[in-house]
Amino acid sequence: MIFKLEDVTVYFPYDNIYPEQYSYMLELKRALDAKGHCLLEMPTGTGKTIALLSLITSYALSKPENPIKFIYCTRTVHEMEKTLAELKLLHDYQTRQLGPAAKILAIGLSSRKNLCVNSRVLAAENRDSVDAACRKRIASWVRALAAENPNVETCEFFENYEKAASAAVLPPGVYTLQDLRAFGKQKGWCPYFLARHMIQFANVVVYSYQYLLDPKVAGIISKEMQKESVVVFDEAHNIDNVCIEALSVNVRRQTLEGATRNLNRMNQEIERFKATDAGRLRAEYNRLVEGLALRGNLPITDAWLSNPALPDDILKEAVPGNIRRAEHFLHVLRRLVQYLRGRLETENVEKENPVNFVASINAHAGIDQKALRFCYDRLHSLMLTLEITDTDEFLHIQTICDFATLLATYTRGFSIIIEPFDERMPHIPDPVLQLSCHDASLAIKPVFDRFQSVVITSGTLTPIDLYPRLLNFHPVVSRSFKMSLTRDCICPMVLTRGSDQLPVSTKFDMRSDPGVARNYGKLLVEMVSIVPDGIVCFFVSYSYMDEIIATWNDSGILKEIMQHKLVFIETQDVAETTLALDNYRTACDCGRGAVFFSVARGKVAEGIDFDGHYGRLVIMFGVPFQYTLSKILLARLEYLRDQFQIKEGDFLTFDALRQAAQCVGRVIRSKADYGMMIFADKRYSRHDKRSKLPGWILSHLRDAHLNLSTDMALHIAREFLRKMAQPYDKTGGGSRKTLLSQEDLEKMTNDGSINNMLY
Amino acid sequence: MKNSEGRRLNGDAEEDDEDEDEINGGLEAWERSYADDRSWEALQEDESGLLRPIDNSAVYHAQYRRRLRARSLSATSSRIQKGLIRYLYIIIDLSRAAAEVDFRPSRMAVVAKNVEAFVREFFDQNPLSQIGLLTIKDGVAHCLTDLGGSPESHIKALMGKLECSGDPSLQNALDLTQALLNQIPSYGHREILILYSALSTCDPGNIMETIQQCKKSKIRCSVIGLSAEMFICKHLCRETGGSYSVALDESHFKELILEHAPPPPAIAEFAIANLIKMGFPQRAAEGSTSICSCHKEAKIGVGYTCPRCKARVCELPTECQICGLQLVSSPHLARSYHHLFPIAPFDEVPPSSLNDLHIRSQKICFGCQQTLLNLGKPGLCVVCPKCKKYFCLECDIYIHESLHNCPGCESFRHLKPVTAGEG
Repeated sequence: MIFKLEDVTVYFPYDNIYPEQYSYMLELKRALDAKGHCLLEMPTGTGKTIALLSLITSYALSKPENPIKFIYCTRTVHEMEKTLAELKLLHDYQTRQLGPAAKILAIGLSSRKNLCVNSRVLAAENRDSVDAACRKRIASWVRALAAENPNVETCEFFENYEKAASAAVLPPGVYTLQDLRAFGKQKGWCPYFLARHMIQFANVVVYSYQYLLDPKVAGIISKEMQKESVVVFDEAHNIDNVCIEALSVNVRRQTLEGATRNLNRMNQEIERFKATDAGRLRAEYNRLVEGLALRGNLPITDAWLSNPALPDDILKEAVPGNIRRAEHFLHVLRRLVQYLRGRLETENVEKENPVNFVASINAHAGIDQKALRFCYDRLHSLMLTLEITDTDEFLHIQTICDFATLLATYTRGFSIIIEPFDERMPHIPDPVLQLSCHDASLAIKPVFDRFQSVVITSGTLTPIDLYPRLLNFHPVVSRSFKMSLTRDCICPMVLTRGSDQLPVSTKFDMRSDPGVARNYGKLLVEMVSIVPDGIVCFFVSYSYMDEIIATWNDSGILKEIMQHKLVFIETQDVAETTLALDNYRTACDCGRGAVFFSVARGKVAEGIDFDGHYGRLVIMFGVPFQYTLSKILLARLEYLRDQFQIKEGDFLTFDALRQAAQCVGRVIRSKADYGMMIFADKRYSRHDKRSKLPGWILSHLRDAHLNLSTDMALHIAREFLRKMAQPYDKTGGGSRKTLLSQEDLEKMTNDGSINNMLY
Repeated sequence: MKNSEGRRLNGDAEEDDEDEDEINGGLEAWERSYADDRSWEALQEDESGLLRPIDNSAVYHAQYRRRLRARSLSATSSRIQKGLIRYLYIIIDLSRAAAEVDFRPSRMAVVAKNVEAFVREFFDQNPLSQIGLLTIKDGVAHCLTDLGGSPESHIKALMGKLECSGDPSLQNALDLTQALLNQIPSYGHREILILYSALSTCDPGNIMETIQQCKKSKIRCSVIGLSAEMFICKHLCRETGGSYSVALDESHFKELILEHAPPPPAIAEFAIANLIKMGFPQRAAEGSTSICSCHKEAKIGVGYTCPRCKARVCELPTECQICGLQLVSSPHLARSYHHLFPIAPFDEVPPSSLNDLHIRSQKICFGCQQTLLNLGKPGLCVVCPKCKKYFCLECDIYIHESLHNCPGCESFRHLKPVTAGEG
């Protein structure tokens, strides 16, 4: 359908549109007009992605004089593919309606592992080794060597791509990763480098968060994006954590050992070069003396990860004298590693701020702040000089240099925490030195500054006023949309009491109470007997899940559950979990029924959908608070309180509730779907917790469902399932229009009633 | 034995009646278990805060109309062709879940009672068809009765077997039924109606293959669930062209099961015209004594004689035990006839246009001559698309379900020659 949204003609590939999609587009358009950032919450299953895509592409089409670029960030490769597939559909529709004028170039960009077509490179098992295997074949010196010696292996795809030079372009169209690989194979060009080259020219780029937020990657990939871009972060409820992770470094004992090995090898290399090609090292030294920028005119193949600090914070100076010589630099690194090893051998938990830590390094290892700050660039230069291609082997020393550079660059918003063992397993010594970033606004600041509009959107962004504070920006629009439903297809319930009318909770003092475990068990036993097909249960942590399953096993509850449904459990092993999920789906398909035990904040809670019959009921056992004794969390809370005036309790509740909402949101993936959600903890009935749930859940949470016991919940569930099994009218009857056709929309725009209907 | 069972069942039926007070007059108030009846659920608050019994008639009628429309839609999409000779197996789930008491007195009893009603209604509407009964319990399927045309024998067999235990197995039931149905002649329409209480199925193999086999043998499988929607049932019905529904309560369950009584539209590729040999036996002399071929015993009085082998059978329709001839009576055939020419569903009249109706003073139902105005304000009514006469909702249901003729169109047909004669 085609309709007018103020002055923009929107091309929407479907015949009908949900009212909330319409209002979503309207808000988005206003934000684009204002060239500002915005924050939009809309429940999953309401077609958020297509609304975004069709509005932004239509907006670009309607304003051909100043073309905007559209950068869409997703969390996973799977989501990237889904987005591109939807964009393809939209693009087909637009070209049908508008002809070739609507042609755009849209590409997805992922790591080499997902894009490479060279079978020998792909044989490597993980991402880092694929990267290294690629570099081994395309580094400039390798190719130079190959020109003389045909036995040196190169990558024919890259060679062809280089040969085609400027002729290597993608014709307009929408390319998924699959399409890119196919195109690359057909032309014999390397899809990865082709895609990287083409993102400068593409109208739409779809890639992962890291390419914008992690300064190491963003520096080389997203450097040349124009200011007139619209950046979208989809499923961005955890964006603050992504930002923090991008600037945090962990150093363990293995890292230090690995770093020592790396240093030894580099030492050997230096010796070898000294014997054979001393001129090269001297040339590097001279270059550094002249203070030439390291990343001057490096060929694309040699460009490595760039500096871990944010672009504005990188010193534009010459490398200090004491680390200019390769041997000296190695000595400095050796002393640093030695010093860190000493620090790791502590018996107590230590917390320090970066300034003190740098001072202490200076005192004990004799390395000043400036030298630390240049560690990363200096290492980079040295590795190029030494022609090291197996970069995956050198990850450890890179981590150390990362650490040093970040440590010396930032004095605020970070802290260093050394823990001799994991709090939860105090008997196993596992010392870890963490440089942890507390300020999510640091990493995202360049993005806000650089681009005209940044859109942060997700199904759960409640409370919506907290995100601007956490990320330190001023949105021009921040709205939360409800879902217009033809029938009440979600049924949230708060269960506060078990079948014996005693309160249930995972609160610390009640956690080990056998009564609570029994009540939770009884709840599940009753539910498996009345809910068909799939049930998903979320626990607050792996340890709690293990404990409660053991209790259920002893008391025979697990056996009772197995009479009705099969039980599958998520573990920390990805392969095992994937297998469990597959079998879970099969059990749901063939009517045996199954229960999936999973953990909030786990892999399943974030990325796996339990739509349709795979999830008719989700039970959230307890409130998924973070581990509040964690030193990092405490440090972050302190920082948030001092800097942003966010109370500890507020932040913890917010974080727990967004996880809970994320978990229960797994069951509703479309409007035709239906599902129940049980929040099994008495704390959910308190207003301060409950009010932090997203609006689309709250609007269906009736007052009568706020304080239930097991038997009452059971009765409600029975009625709900019967009611949902009845056939219904999809467009919604009477006054409650939930699916708008073009005529409806035109009529409503004309008589102004569209404004009343906005959700 | 049979008597006591019957009485118990009758008792159940009465308890479910709305005006219990009269029937349960002998019981003291405290003896009646209100708690189990959830009588408070049948109440709702009106605008002024008074409690009133829920008026479900509009809802029920809306549901009925939706079903009617769905049925006629599937029929009008192609030429109406209906299987009048149906071979239907009713599979009754007697697993553990059937003992649940959310339907009173228990799911099992409600199912049994309604199956009884259904069997009678089925033979009334499809005199040429046959039914067999199966039960599932303990993971196995048992054949309770073979295909046959006598309602009494089925009901008797079912009432004697009302016990439940174990897990259900949908696959075993389908396998068994499929084997049984594969033997019937090609002109018959194969159908399965599953009354499923449980929410899972414990199968020995891959049920998906069994479903595909059912599809291949052109068996139409329908399921009525008693508790919630199950994916596998939905899948089964979608694959084999049957219907899937879930009962809300006892009365809804009754409606749903009775919906399966009229013959469904025939599966297109299966509906080849076929000639079938049938006998129309004569009623034997009243007083004569002879050995009947169905019960193998001497009987006096009413009986029928097979026109081909002269064997005596007790009731029609049936298959002759001796020569295998299909024995029917002509009224049976005639009674099946109306399925082929259903009346079109009536159109709903929007409340706004009822004002015009006022002016035209057609404010009475053409069927029952009652006023269409419900306490002064216009109530719901429907209009026949052919003769444009207005009907109330009760008449709408009566015309479509029982009468199978539109009184408006019929009287119009009568009037025509008269006016012609006058003209």
